Amino acid sequence: MQRTIIRELERLLGSSGVLSSPEDLLLYEYDGSVEEAGPDAIVFPRRKQDVVEIVKLANRYDLSIVGRGAGTGLSGGALAREGGIVLAFSRMNHILEIDAENQRAVVEPGVVNLDLSRAAEKYGLYFAPDPSSQKSCTIGGNVSENSGGPHTLAYGVTSNHVTGLEVVMPDAKVIRLGGRAMETPGYDLTGLMIGSEGTFALVTEVTVRLLRLPEDVRTLLAIYDSLGDATDSVVDITARGIIPAACEMLDGWTLRAVEAYVHAGFPLDSAAVLLMEVEGVREAAETQADEIIEVCRRHNAREVRRARDARERALLWKGRKEAFGAVGRVSPSYYVLDGVIPRTKLTPTLLRIEEIAKRYGFVIGNIFHAGDGNLHPLILFDHRDRDQFRRARAAGAEIMQLCVEMGGTLTGEHGVGMEKNELMPLMFTETDLDLMRKVRAAFNPVGRLNPGKVLPLGKGCGETRLQPFPQSAGGNA
Amino acid sequence: MSQVAESLASRLAELVGAGRVHTGPKSLAAYEVDGRRPSAALLPSSVAEVAEILCFASAERLAVIPIGGRTHLHIGMPPHRYDLALDVSALNRVLAYEPHDLTLGVEPGITYAELDRNLREKGQFLPLAPPFAERATLGGIVAAAADTPVRYAHGTAKDLLLGAEFVTGEGVISKSGGRVVKNVTGYDLHKLLIGSLGTLAVITRLNFRTFPLPPLQRMFVATFADPLGAMAFCRAIMQSPLQPRVVDVLNPRAAGLFAAYSGGNLGRDSWLAVVEAAGHEKVLERHARDLASMSREAQAAEFIALDEDQREHLFGCLCEFSPIAFGATSAATVFRIAALPSALPALLEETRKLAARHALDCAILIRALGVVYLALLPPANPEAYPELVNCSRELMTFCVTSGVAPMIERCPLEIKNALDIWPPPGTEQEITQRLKHVFDPHRILAPGRFRGGI
Repeated sequence: MQRTIIRELERLLGSSGVLSSPEDLLLYEYDGSVEEAGPDAIVFPRRKQDVVEIVKLANRYDLSIVGRGAGTGLSGGALAREGGIVLAFSRMNHILEIDAENQRAVVEPGVVNLDLSRAAEKYGLYFAPDPSSQKSCTIGGNVSENSGGPHTLAYGVTSNHVTGLEVVMPDAKVIRLGGRAMETPGYDLTGLMIGSEGTFALVTEVTVRLLRLPEDVRTLLAIYDSLGDATDSVVDITARGIIPAACEMLDGWTLRAVEAYVHAGFPLDSAAVLLMEVEGVREAAETQADEIIEVCRRHNAREVRRARDARERALLWKGRKEAFGAVGRVSPSYYVLDGVIPRTKLTPTLLRIEEIAKRYGFVIGNIFHAGDGNLHPLILFDHRDRDQFRRARAAGAEIMQLCVEMGGTLTGEHGVGMEKNELMPLMFTETDLDLMRKVRAAFNPVGRLNPGKVLPLGKGCGETRLQPFPQSAGGNA
Repeated sequence: MSQVAESLASRLAELVGAGRVHTGPKSLAAYEVDGRRPSAALLPSSVAEVAEILCFASAERLAVIPIGGRTHLHIGMPPHRYDLALDVSALNRVLAYEPHDLTLGVEPGITYAELDRNLREKGQFLPLAPPFAERATLGGIVAAAADTPVRYAHGTAKDLLLGAEFVTGEGVISKSGGRVVKNVTGYDLHKLLIGSLGTLAVITRLNFRTFPLPPLQRMFVATFADPLGAMAFCRAIMQSPLQPRVVDVLNPRAAGLFAAYSGGNLGRDSWLAVVEAAGHEKVLERHARDLASMSREAQAAEFIALDEDQREHLFGCLCEFSPIAFGATSAATVFRIAALPSALPALLEETRKLAARHALDCAILIRALGVVYLALLPPANPEAYPELVNCSRELMTFCVTSGVAPMIERCPLEIKNALDIWPPPGTEQEITQRLKHVFDPHRILAPGRFRGGI
């Protein structure tokens, strides 16, 4: 990037607000995904006006801008695919207000997810979306990706918990969408903006709904000798009208890897464990926990453990939350996939994933939000071997295709980013994608914001051409 | 029929078949929107026909209003133009229902009641119980953002809609979202359709998540001498661990309307807080116990648990608040105002003052401590309109200046002729217009009905 532009950015933000040395740029070539792409400069605005000025400057010099929170994203959403400026929100990290009476909080985008829940705790409140990265990921990132987490089964994803946004548009105008109240007359632009992966506008303020902390939480661990019994339990639990707050599954390979590292007490010879949580008023949590135990036993669970206290609960969850770390110990790299299938298709899908693993010669572990059918297959590979990397991606694409074939979708919570934008035709027709392109252009006409994400790149860019499955997605077309 | 009308009718018959085009004055009267009558009404029997109709309308620049059960057509400003009524009631199938996945795909013309019967067979429901459940269609419920008493627990269509298929103003069939309960693939264009009054696209398929029916439900009513007591009770519920499905508050006038409507004997001079809980017996007992004690602390005059018949009846009344108010006087002017709990006392006080100053009766329903339905009830004669217009205008101004989000959901045409039922557009207006242009570049879909003149 031209020296003059860097100097101009420094004048705007101070020299500590701009990074441009090769070693700094290198650090921002990565996020939580397996993708890589480097920016020409990283800037750290401290206030909305800084964001406005950066956008104006980018317009003057025709630079692209990529918003970034904590860089924990798993689809390359925060990477500067076409260079330009990475606008890192890490210094816009203030909780502006916690309005306990109305159960709202107003935050800057760089606020860390868990910090918000911690700050709200003294009022008996919390922010429901809880991605596994919640210790480091930011609310702005959650808004961009419409993040979920284990507890979204009962409470929904980010879009269910955001009532209003302030955003800087690509023409540097600041606009407000939604508000603090439950609804706003007009189109639901807040709902549209959430999950747009930074391709519409830059979010500078978020108004969220806070939930009351439950009175009682029951955490259960069911251990199975057969994966099929575990998945049947999941279907049966919901069939009985129980919606657990969380319902997580680890397959045999994954639970062994986790056990070796975390010592959560998973029997090494078991085929699957189900980690379930019910919460709410004491009487409801109690009855539901009893019912779940009964269902699990009926489906041949060899053991169902109940956490007796917070310490035991934390231990049970440790096995789930540190699972990725555990896998990191046994493989040089792993590729976390994110696909959704109808929960009734869990068993056949897992069998097909096993087949794919064998065919490609990879170990694929499965750890997933079983309750909502959100799979996270982990493909173990060695990234130093370019051929393995290429094959891991091919296996990943095949698994995604399988999810769509099963009536599911390409991503449940990680986003499309630059990982899956070329897979979009699996779910959407060219007409669907064209309308999405036009909607993006209504916000971001010259593609200055986060270029090369979400939608397939234009023809002639070597993109894969895939046929959509007719039964997938919204339509019956 | 004029020659022009005849030639239009025959061209339309080519699109959907002669039996599905209505041009007679009697049939068209049923499609009137704010006193405007279309030249023809069409009943397409497939998505492809919807697309053909919109292609034709777009080419001919004919204004189209998508229509379902005709239960919410009173919402919106009078259309600038209105040539064709696009009645989707023949598109009324359940396209996919997977009870074990708790997911559902339906065509827009199916009525809520019909769908509800289907779901109940499998022990499930879709928490969107609207007014006029027998006639209201799912497409209409979504397009009108119809509200429901169970939003306290389940939210609204925004929280339940997983994906949609729709046809744009240029006749392009498109879709977004998916059919599974969790999905972030692509832009959530279907969110825009919620509450859009058909100004962006014609909905042809909706995918929802469904819920298991609760094993039991019970409704409790606490009565209060003033609104502050009722508010305090509701705030205590909000701050408690209880998880009710319904938390609605009625002012004495609304309670009186409900009593008149149901022949029941709900306290006519009291503010009522209506709370419904669901779950197993133990859970209901816990709610009964805690709610009783909270109601005492809030100085309730009475606290009662309703029997099942009373519960069903009152639930129905809560769903039907706006039509019941309209039944009391055809000049009823119903505001829908989204306000935070902390803003409610000031809003109620201002309403009381305004209604008194203009000598207007006023029925109030506060839903889920967040949305206020406020029905001004003038006598149904034109002499009352000037007061009604003034009172409505002042109330609108108060809401806008105090940061709550108002709209007038129902009112006589005379009011719409005198003032905008929508609040003035904000900083989002430019992008709103650009989005409208993307979906409907020739402005043929329900032109003029939406906020900001869209």
